[in-house]
Amino acid sequence: MENEIIENEIPELKDYKLSFHGQGKTYFGIVIVNWLLTVITLGFYFPWAKARNLQFLYGSTALENDRFAFHGTGKEMFIGFLKSIVIFGVIYGILFLFIYLDMTMLGAIIFYFAFIAILPIAIHGSYRYRFSRTSWRGIRFGYRGDRSELFVNFFKWIFFTIITLGIYGAWMEVKLRKYLLSNVRAGNVEFKYKGIGSEYFLLNIKGYLLTIITLGIYSFWWYKDLFAYYVDNLSLQKENQQIKLRSIATVGGIFKMAMGNFLLVIFTLGLGYAWAITRTMNFMTSNIKLEGNMDLNTIEQTEDDYNDATGDDLTGLLDINFII
Amino acid sequence: MISTAGKYFDGISSNPQDIELLLDEISAGLRFGTSSDQNILWPIHEITFQHIGNSLEIRNKHHSLALINVNNTDFATGLIAFLKAKGHLTWYQRILQMGFKAYLSIAILILGFIVAGYIFIIPWIAEKAVLLIPRHYDISMGHTFYNQYLKDSHVDSSKTEALNLFAEQLQLHNTLKLRFTVVSSPTVNAFSLPDGNIIVYTGLIGLMKDYDELAGLIGHEVSHVNNRHSMKMLCRNLSGYLFISAVLSDVNGIMAIIGDNVHNLQSLSYSRQFEREADEQGTDLMMLNGINPKGMTDLFTRLKSSEKVSIPAFISSHPITTDRIETINRLIKTTPHQFKPNPKLEELFLQVKE
Repeated sequence: MENEIIENEIPELKDYKLSFHGQGKTYFGIVIVNWLLTVITLGFYFPWAKARNLQFLYGSTALENDRFAFHGTGKEMFIGFLKSIVIFGVIYGILFLFIYLDMTMLGAIIFYFAFIAILPIAIHGSYRYRFSRTSWRGIRFGYRGDRSELFVNFFKWIFFTIITLGIYGAWMEVKLRKYLLSNVRAGNVEFKYKGIGSEYFLLNIKGYLLTIITLGIYSFWWYKDLFAYYVDNLSLQKENQQIKLRSIATVGGIFKMAMGNFLLVIFTLGLGYAWAITRTMNFMTSNIKLEGNMDLNTIEQTEDDYNDATGDDLTGLLDINFII
Repeated sequence: MISTAGKYFDGISSNPQDIELLLDEISAGLRFGTSSDQNILWPIHEITFQHIGNSLEIRNKHHSLALINVNNTDFATGLIAFLKAKGHLTWYQRILQMGFKAYLSIAILILGFIVAGYIFIIPWIAEKAVLLIPRHYDISMGHTFYNQYLKDSHVDSSKTEALNLFAEQLQLHNTLKLRFTVVSSPTVNAFSLPDGNIIVYTGLIGLMKDYDELAGLIGHEVSHVNNRHSMKMLCRNLSGYLFISAVLSDVNGIMAIIGDNVHNLQSLSYSRQFEREADEQGTDLMMLNGINPKGMTDLFTRLKSSEKVSIPAFISSHPITTDRIETINRLIKTTPHQFKPNPKLEELFLQVKE
């Protein structure tokens, strides 16, 4: 077999192809059917709709022409959804109890504290679930972050962010991203993120100020920088082999995508949404270059199964978008 | 029997194994040999597939990570037809075979349903809901607002007393006890609260020339109270909003935003409908009390001329003033009525106006 020959030598640098194959009209069908069933079932179909949606988007994305797959099911997400409802119910219950006892201040403090405490738990659960349910070439992804470690760090970062009046927010975001992404793996391939808080802070300050000065025009450059900062710092590692990611997105490309999507959605009264999403996915995948010397034929299965979707549903209810 | 070249991943390593995949119709399954010379059969009732673009990915329910990848449209079509014939297509997979035209029809159908629901069902539900809401909700809602609102306002107590006496002279068909308050303020405005509290600003009274105009204003505001317009508005807005956001936010945020805006425009037209109703019933009340209904149109004419300065809340979101005047004139013409001077009202009006 080929892979035995290359086992002890490092292969040459090569490009890997990331691509999106989903068509707007196919996705439109999925969105519409999801919509119909959600309306008919008075919303109960929603977790299944979410699963169908992810299955399509993952299944349309390919690395080296092999599709990713999402294995999550509506049932798992529905159970997660019920658990999330209970958690929120308890938090609101406590708040109302304190209001009833005429201790509104204390109730509000506990309420906000509980909300902040839920965030890292929800993010952790969401990563655990999503990645354990993702695969490529039959190799399961996984997230190996430690919940209590993230919990402690998260509170530390939030504390610094509050006492610096938000300035530390840039550091927090990069540290969070670094912690989360560096714990992601696909079989024995490990993800690495090497962003630095100060760089990210300067990039945002510059973007913010210039966007204001140019009355919003600079926002396309800002977006380009943000996308590049995310992608360029990401790499994959397997033993001594690696793949580096690089953004080749241009301002013109971003402008074309954003304006196109805007017009597409507005002039179809929202029905063009499906095309806007497939265009965005196309844009992202075609603007990420992967280069390295990793042999993708020798990835081994390492991760266990994990089917608790509560974290994913909590982030959904909190309206935090899944970051990747 | 159809066959194709494909790739098999065993769920242990990412190494692709080239296979020859055979749809074995006799044993009803997919048959292939692996690199380690294993001969595998996946019975069709165990397989699931996803067909996106030209790629067909086949998995086994009992071994979800192993997969076969095929890039052969003929094979995909053949397999799907075979599964369909054997009754192994799930309802969802059957739906996904329907094609673009069917989806577009479904989309238009749902949109039609939403529009119909919004136009016919929501107002009907709201109307019924108002009947179910006990009147004391209106009262406590009005009280809360009244106390909040008047906290920082300067109430003119002698004018307030005169206005209450003025209203007592009139037969107003009211079921709630009415309480009038005159607030000293240059604002040209007046409004009613659902509990029967009616607030009038001296700025508006100052514009009036005759007592029949004040009677017109009272008739208009009292009609709002009598018809529970505030509660109806609240029910319509709330149910419409819930309906729109529930049905549209499932698709996407943009559609929900568009829906919300349409809903806001629509709610303006609700309030116009209520204003027209209050104009007509207010005019009726004037005629019932033997007051010259022309006072109502005079009032609007004055408001219209003061509109250039500022558009008072009393008529903003209301039907265009000219339209309203015409509607009232038509009503006056078609309704037989009599009126005679009322010195008592005249006297009280002067006290309110001073």
